[in-house]
Amino acid sequence: MSSVWLIVGLAGLVAAAGAAPVPKRLSLWMTAAASAILATGTVLLVTEGTTVQIALWSPAPYMHLALRFDALSAVFALGIGVVSAAACVFAVGYSRPRAADDFALPIFVLAMVCVVAAANVVTFLFAWEAMALSSFVLVMGDGLARPRRMAAVLYGGMTHVATVAVTGAFFIVAHAAGSQDFARMSAVGGRLSPALASVAFLLAVAGFGTKAGLVPFHVWLPRAHPVAPSHVSALMSGAMVNTGLYGIIRVGAGFLGPGEAWWGVGLMAAGCLSAVLGILYALFEQDMKRVLAFSTIENVGIMTVAIGAALTFQAHGLDALAAAAMVAALLHSLSHGILKAALFLGAGAVQRTTHTLSLDRLGGLARTMPVTGAVALLASLAISGLPPLSGFPGEWLLFRSLFVLGGEPVGALTRMAALGALGAMALTGGLALACFVRLSGISFLGLPRSQEAAQAHDGPWTMRLPLLGLGAMALAGGVAASVVIRAVTPAGEVLFGQRGVATSGASQRIVDAGGGALSLLVVAAALALTAGLAWLGLRLYFGATRVERGPIWSTGVVFRPSMQYTATSLSKPLRSFFSRVLLPERRVVTEFHAGSPLPKVVHYSGRVPPIIEERLYHPARSLAIWSARRVRGLQNGSVQLYLLYIVGTLVVLLVVTQ
Amino acid sequence: MTLLHGFVLGGLEVGAVSLAAPLFNGIIRKGKARLQGRAGPPLFQLYYDLRKWWGRGEQAAASVSYVHWAAPYVFLSATAGALLLVPIFSSAVPLDAQGDLFVLLGLLALGRAALTLGAMDSGATFGQMGSSRELALGALIEPLIVLTLIAPAVAAHSSTLSGIAAFGNQQGISVLTLGWLLAAAGFLVVLVAETGRIPIDNPDTHLELTMIHEAMLIEYSGRSLGVLHFAAALRQAVLALLFVNLFFPFGLVAHPGLGGYAGIAALDVLKLVVVALAFVVVEMLFAKMRFFELAGLLGTAMLVAGAAVAVTVVLA
Repeated sequence: MSSVWLIVGLAGLVAAAGAAPVPKRLSLWMTAAASAILATGTVLLVTEGTTVQIALWSPAPYMHLALRFDALSAVFALGIGVVSAAACVFAVGYSRPRAADDFALPIFVLAMVCVVAAANVVTFLFAWEAMALSSFVLVMGDGLARPRRMAAVLYGGMTHVATVAVTGAFFIVAHAAGSQDFARMSAVGGRLSPALASVAFLLAVAGFGTKAGLVPFHVWLPRAHPVAPSHVSALMSGAMVNTGLYGIIRVGAGFLGPGEAWWGVGLMAAGCLSAVLGILYALFEQDMKRVLAFSTIENVGIMTVAIGAALTFQAHGLDALAAAAMVAALLHSLSHGILKAALFLGAGAVQRTTHTLSLDRLGGLARTMPVTGAVALLASLAISGLPPLSGFPGEWLLFRSLFVLGGEPVGALTRMAALGALGAMALTGGLALACFVRLSGISFLGLPRSQEAAQAHDGPWTMRLPLLGLGAMALAGGVAASVVIRAVTPAGEVLFGQRGVATSGASQRIVDAGGGALSLLVVAAALALTAGLAWLGLRLYFGATRVERGPIWSTGVVFRPSMQYTATSLSKPLRSFFSRVLLPERRVVTEFHAGSPLPKVVHYSGRVPPIIEERLYHPARSLAIWSARRVRGLQNGSVQLYLLYIVGTLVVLLVVTQ
Repeated sequence: MTLLHGFVLGGLEVGAVSLAAPLFNGIIRKGKARLQGRAGPPLFQLYYDLRKWWGRGEQAAASVSYVHWAAPYVFLSATAGALLLVPIFSSAVPLDAQGDLFVLLGLLALGRAALTLGAMDSGATFGQMGSSRELALGALIEPLIVLTLIAPAVAAHSSTLSGIAAFGNQQGISVLTLGWLLAAAGFLVVLVAETGRIPIDNPDTHLELTMIHEAMLIEYSGRSLGVLHFAAALRQAVLALLFVNLFFPFGLVAHPGLGGYAGIAALDVLKLVVVALAFVVVEMLFAKMRFFELAGLLGTAMLVAGAAVAVTVVLA
């Protein structure tokens, strides 16, 4: 049954691309419908417990384009389908019609699904490139604005360098397997020497990590994600980064696992770095979508830590615990996709009515845009990992996994690394809370900081409906977590032969392989009960309160909206706490009245510099340009010289091969 | 623990701690006043204040949204939810099979989110100032909580607070290893920071510029203010109970029987009075630190907690 849904969904995406020139945004509606059908198909596939194979095309010998949906592919395809359905409906009311975009969007979604469902290396790389090119088109848009062109080119360049690394990893694994079929490539790591397997693993992490936005390969992400239209940003942050994580999981755990013990620990370290740096930089951005892009880097870091924990368990033969950690990663990827989509779409709704994304020009939007505001507030709480919302179960499973790893007999250093990662994850959680209270508090609460914000309003129903749907999922994903987990655990079985997390009954209780139990439904009920009883008790005993509206307390002077905290001042304490890491720059120049000690004008400028870009990428770029200049001498345009090179190369080759 | 048992025990614990929490606050205030040579407010002052606030009408800024009204109740229920995870009358806790220390961490963070968002809702500068500071401190306190609770949890091989308390009770005095005591020392800083006391914050201040917690309440009045003050007192008592019953769980058994419950309750009261007096001494001896120097204090505490974890892993 699921195969029919999947095929109809895939065909629908192809048809949607063909419908791009049709007016009334038909292609968007078709993409949304096809995505929803695909998502349904993946859920059916998991409940049926089957694997679906779809042969697409064999244009040449050794080149079979084919798809294979197993439980792991299904989880990722489900995330892509849900985010895409919401984003495409939103786009109907949000985006301006443009045939190139309406063509590239379904292709982009189709390519992402094909990446996570590819049955062999050729299909994977084909879909991988189609995904890169179609998203490049979407980021570039009309290409009129210079930042957009720069971001798109940087993205295009980095993603192609990443493809080289990915191809290298596949080459090593496929060579050892003697086949480029994914089904035959699974668990071939044992046939490789530890050194070669490690090279393949590192290539995979570098290549896929670039797509996922893992520090230090992240520099394109905070540029490309924000400049794209919001529904595309939602797809890139909510769905595309997951394809990178899928690659790391498929190659690291599926093909090469069980691998070396240090792989997982290294991955945990890289994840912690991404998570902490990602959220720290998010805290000092002034642009709503840039904050969200940096938060994507943070969440990719969190998922990478979970994958690292799974690989560590796997390397030590603790498969059930490995599966539990992997469920944490997958659950977090689904939840992050939904929440990041909600927040990016919310940002799009804000931008459409206020024409700005600068936090310092917003304020009070919860009252002027009730739907967008409520969903953005809820998603902010959920993405900070607060119970009982959808961000919490994945985070809880990850915390539990790291804690259990810290207690297993896997060596004192590994145990301390796991517990250190746990501390880093808690720090990330605290910083994420600060970041999202700042984001939602500055833009949706308080008083409007500009005329545009004061006159803001919600978008048409096509924009409100997807937001409400995603908001409902943010709530349901928490209190009904065991329903989602049941869809995710078969993926653990594909990789490790174990489910890792058990679910039980009406209380939505989940029990991980280490014996820890959680029921967010009961926790939520306890919260609702105490809050409700307190409210009711006070009302019954003391009666209803009379509310008088008055001015804001501002030590006796008349309050003006400009007296509010700005986005910069709100995160100032953290900027100073972390100044050793962030190296913030601050310049204050005071001009005085002539011959007077009284200041006339004070110029202030401050920024948190992107350290990794300035210390790592800029020198690398300078080196590349410098060496290109040196090499230019070889090329002076003379045909005779080129012939000399060819003859010389020929002679050298002949000598070498003799 | 069955659901019904948990429900009854939870109701009793929430009721008892709610009744006692304002008194705990009163003891600290009274003790501090006495040591400063003042008469101080009556022991039961907070009860009188709460009755006054709860019965009064409210004044709110014209700019507030639903967040302002919901925040006090979310803060209160998150604190009460945390209470259901802390061993109080027995080592078993009402939410034994539904949550653990990571849920406790999440609920404390939920309370913080409600408080800071509520404070930012009206747009008042002082509220936002309090939020800004609270969020910065919270970002450092969360890893500190995790590291200090993880060390005993690793020793006990359980992430539930009931499991840790049962382990400690079973081990007796020998549970007080170096790692355990270092973790307890680290948690003392959490206790001071999360309850907004000197040297991190000054609960008695009336100067807006120096406040953290009080600044967040500045736009609240009447019943909402009462709920917030009550929830803050409850949080103070919950964290004090967490400290004494997690790190020194002697006498806490899982199924004490009726007389046993009464005995443990009496022991709880005794422990809380000791903690209250310790608060008094600390508040007498130290001045409030400059806000920007707090990172140093919390960083030191984090190093201590990290050492606790390392010692536990290596020695256990």
